Amino acid sequence: MSLKSIAPGIVLALLAVAAPAMASDYQLLFLLQLLMMIALAQSWNLISGMTGYVSLGHTAFFGVGAYAGALLLQWGFPWWLAIFKGAGIALLVAAPLGVLTLRLRGPYFAIAMLGLNEIGRLVATLWVDLTQGGDGIPLSPARLPTLLQNYYTMLTLAVLATSLIAWVRYNRLGLELRAIREDEEAAEMVGVNTTRNKVIAFALSAVIPGAAGAVYAFYTSYIDPVSVFAPALNIQMIVMVLLGGSGTVWGPVIGAVLVRTLHELTWAQFPALHLALLGVLIVAIVLFLPKGILSLAPWRRRVRPDRAPGSP
Amino acid sequence: MHLLEPVLLLQFLVSGLLAGALYALLACGLNLVFGVMRVINLAHAELMLAGAFLTYVLYAWAGIHPLLAFFLVLPALFGAGFYLQRLVVERVVGKGELQSLLLTYGLSIILINTGLLIFASDFKAIPELQGALIVGDIAISKPRTAAALLAIALTLGVYHFLKHARLGKAIRAVAEHPDVAMLCGIDVVRMRMFTFGLAAAMAGAAGVMLTMIYSFSPETGADFILKCFAIIIIGGMGNFIGALYGGLLLGVAEIFVAGFVSSQWAEAVAYVLLILILLIRPTGLKGAADVT
Amino acid sequence: MKRIHFLLAGFGVGIALASAGVPAQTKEIVVGTSVALTGKYARTGQEQLNGFQLWVEDVNRRGGLLGRKVRLAYYDDESKPDTGAKLYEKLITGDKVDLLIGPYSSGVTLAASTVAEKHRFPIISAGASSSKIWARGYKNVFGLYTPATTYMDQILALAKEKGLKRVALIHADTAFPRDVARGVEASAKRLGLELVFKEEYGKASTDFAAMILKIKALKPDVVVGGSYLPDSTAFMRQAREYQLYAKIFAFAVGPGLPDFGPNLGAIAEGVMGNSQWEPTLNLPGVKTFAKQYEQRYGHVPGYHAAGGYGAGQVLEAAVKMTRSFDRDKLRRALLKLDTTTAFGRYKVDATGMQLGKPGYTVQWIGGSRHVILPPSVAARKTTYPFKPWDKR
Repeated sequence: MSLKSIAPGIVLALLAVAAPAMASDYQLLFLLQLLMMIALAQSWNLISGMTGYVSLGHTAFFGVGAYAGALLLQWGFPWWLAIFKGAGIALLVAAPLGVLTLRLRGPYFAIAMLGLNEIGRLVATLWVDLTQGGDGIPLSPARLPTLLQNYYTMLTLAVLATSLIAWVRYNRLGLELRAIREDEEAAEMVGVNTTRNKVIAFALSAVIPGAAGAVYAFYTSYIDPVSVFAPALNIQMIVMVLLGGSGTVWGPVIGAVLVRTLHELTWAQFPALHLALLGVLIVAIVLFLPKGILSLAPWRRRVRPDRAPGSP
Repeated sequence: MHLLEPVLLLQFLVSGLLAGALYALLACGLNLVFGVMRVINLAHAELMLAGAFLTYVLYAWAGIHPLLAFFLVLPALFGAGFYLQRLVVERVVGKGELQSLLLTYGLSIILINTGLLIFASDFKAIPELQGALIVGDIAISKPRTAAALLAIALTLGVYHFLKHARLGKAIRAVAEHPDVAMLCGIDVVRMRMFTFGLAAAMAGAAGVMLTMIYSFSPETGADFILKCFAIIIIGGMGNFIGALYGGLLLGVAEIFVAGFVSSQWAEAVAYVLLILILLIRPTGLKGAADVT
Repeated sequence: MKRIHFLLAGFGVGIALASAGVPAQTKEIVVGTSVALTGKYARTGQEQLNGFQLWVEDVNRRGGLLGRKVRLAYYDDESKPDTGAKLYEKLITGDKVDLLIGPYSSGVTLAASTVAEKHRFPIISAGASSSKIWARGYKNVFGLYTPATTYMDQILALAKEKGLKRVALIHADTAFPRDVARGVEASAKRLGLELVFKEEYGKASTDFAAMILKIKALKPDVVVGGSYLPDSTAFMRQAREYQLYAKIFAFAVGPGLPDFGPNLGAIAEGVMGNSQWEPTLNLPGVKTFAKQYEQRYGHVPGYHAAGGYGAGQVLEAAVKMTRSFDRDKLRRALLKLDTTTAFGRYKVDATGMQLGKPGYTVQWIGGSRHVILPPSVAARKTTYPFKPWDKR
């Protein structure tokens, strides 16, 4: 990977690191949510953008992380440890689920994941002794990390998720994952261990939503089953990835920035109208820009997979 | 409690079938579209609500009874679906799940929010055809029975149409081998427009019935659509008649779980069934995708 | 390096937009709030907003607050707690508002009040009644609504008075209905009523047949629901289908809304509910507000609208009392204040929870809803018992 190709990332990250010095709390929260969407979109990109297995239930891991983080914080763990454990628990939940669901193809996988998210929501609703059920969990402000701590944690997650994509994309795993996307049988025939690769990608793609879920719980200070196991959040990830360019490193970042900015611009004054316009935008993108915004850019030719460093 | 009394068990079965029929009516259209063009239509429940609001407007402004409105709503939704396919959906056919998911999601939020702009988020319902027929000791809900009869009639009607009519056979040909169908001189695009129109009309029919069963707002779709996805997996994706069985099965399973365990657990039935079936048979209960 | 420019431009626009607030330093007083204009609470959110706006018009007609013109700054919280939290951060640090009113729903309020607490900014909550909000030791949340746990007290007391014994309770599985249910359990126990059935149901429940059949077998005297509008109407519709009979049917939220009757037609007749407020209440200021609201918006206001208006009046009273916009002074004033608004009495306990305002019981009689309890403000006599289905 050349310096030139990671330079924009470094500049962006430095800007984001410096942002708290210039931004008000509200602007920080805006950026925090933007970074959260970048982290989530990249995670989704890792499994779905790379392999073509469309997950409609990645919020399941977000929800698991949010509940794990909130409960651990309540039980007296320090906030950073709660985030780590939240991520770890999401991973532990994801690995076996990946083994089971990744046997499914196409729409079957997509809908199975949608179902898993609903099951997650129902567990959080029904397991009242642990989760307080539909009452949700209000977190005590005394234990909560500060906005700045939340912000930098989320920044770390966004950077990690993007780096993970960059790293995977330019190494053997990424190549094999894309081979799976193009033609799974053929990939298997040439010796790609498709099951192992898919499960690895799936498990990796669950860790960051797990951690992000915990941070979400901390900055919102209140979670309930409906707000964290939210299918709409999953769709937002998909919109951002596709808008920018699926399977690319920068696509989801661009997608997240555009969608959140547009939201910020229009939502306050025209609630229903702005959502309808978002719908029009999505339809327009699918019809006129099916490969995402990055496909418009002239430099795209340089990152064709067959010329990527590390390809055999 | 005497839950095991035969009368009560029979009542559960009847009520479950009636609840399931409404699911089936919605799921069949969803499955038809998937079967013919491999598009998962996330806006399907919003088409149902379009039917419901149209029925409501006809009732509130012109005093037209929902059962009569049916004859206006069905053609209207058929037409809307027909042109929606031509203008928009056709362009993502064969482009993979992601494109079609995203497109139909876009359509769904356009419909929901247009609904909010026009009708606000008030809950509407039409208090017609209320109450139940009492047969022996069994209560049979009037609006739900009407919905069930309609669901079965429409589903079987469309099924026979696909199986035996010329146009239906052409649609099946398009579903199985679009390229071959084209070579045989079938107007593939037109067939898909017809299919989407049919599916939209079925969703509209569910909407007409919904007005007498449930209070709805432009955002009510979410309560139904997730279960419909589970149903089409349970019945077999793309398997048109399978969605009818799937819907009825879910309706009955839900009411028995609600009866013997609790209503909260009933909500989990759809998703647990979905996962179990996928684990046992990765292509659904009724086998691989097949319009017939 | 086109890529850099591209990404940086996007990032920059984002920051710029987020910072594009309203220029402060004008003389007007800005009251900030978030409203549910989209999402699951949009129905009630819009009414609440109408109430706020009507108050702003009125207070400006009266010469503003301490002689300064009042403006409302509001945003749509999408009925989501995280958006709510973000918006209160925006209102406080971005728009630098002078006064704050809370959002609608217990969930969004739980999140938003943490932000207000962090900034030590008093917030008038005019749309949440879950007792959890005031159980966290916060010093800056002041409720207007009668707590959800007391919603059904008058109805249960009526049941007791009529010699009824058996109560069946159903409720939805979110924070507010669960709170109503806890209140019903506690009050039933206190009154010596027997809770023969209790079941929770999920948000996508559209069929209540199993629940109704189970309840029917238990022959309850009273059926109480911790519910919203769609579930309460679906339940009553099916109660009629299965001939479930009880002497009292009562639900939270649903029957208190104007849509309940038109949605159900004849089935609504006799169903009780509770209300924070009714336009027919015989209290000072109520009639004027209701008339004005109807002229302005073309429909009779519900309690969410009046709550919005009342929240404004409480702020007005507190500002008048302290003659300042100082947050610490306002906080002390809001704790001490005992005033009556168009919404009813305002008097909170040491945690900020509302104690002074009674709840009201309504009943659908002759196609419209009327206050039946407490007797001092009742507009109609209670229709009792519920008319059997076969006699309708």
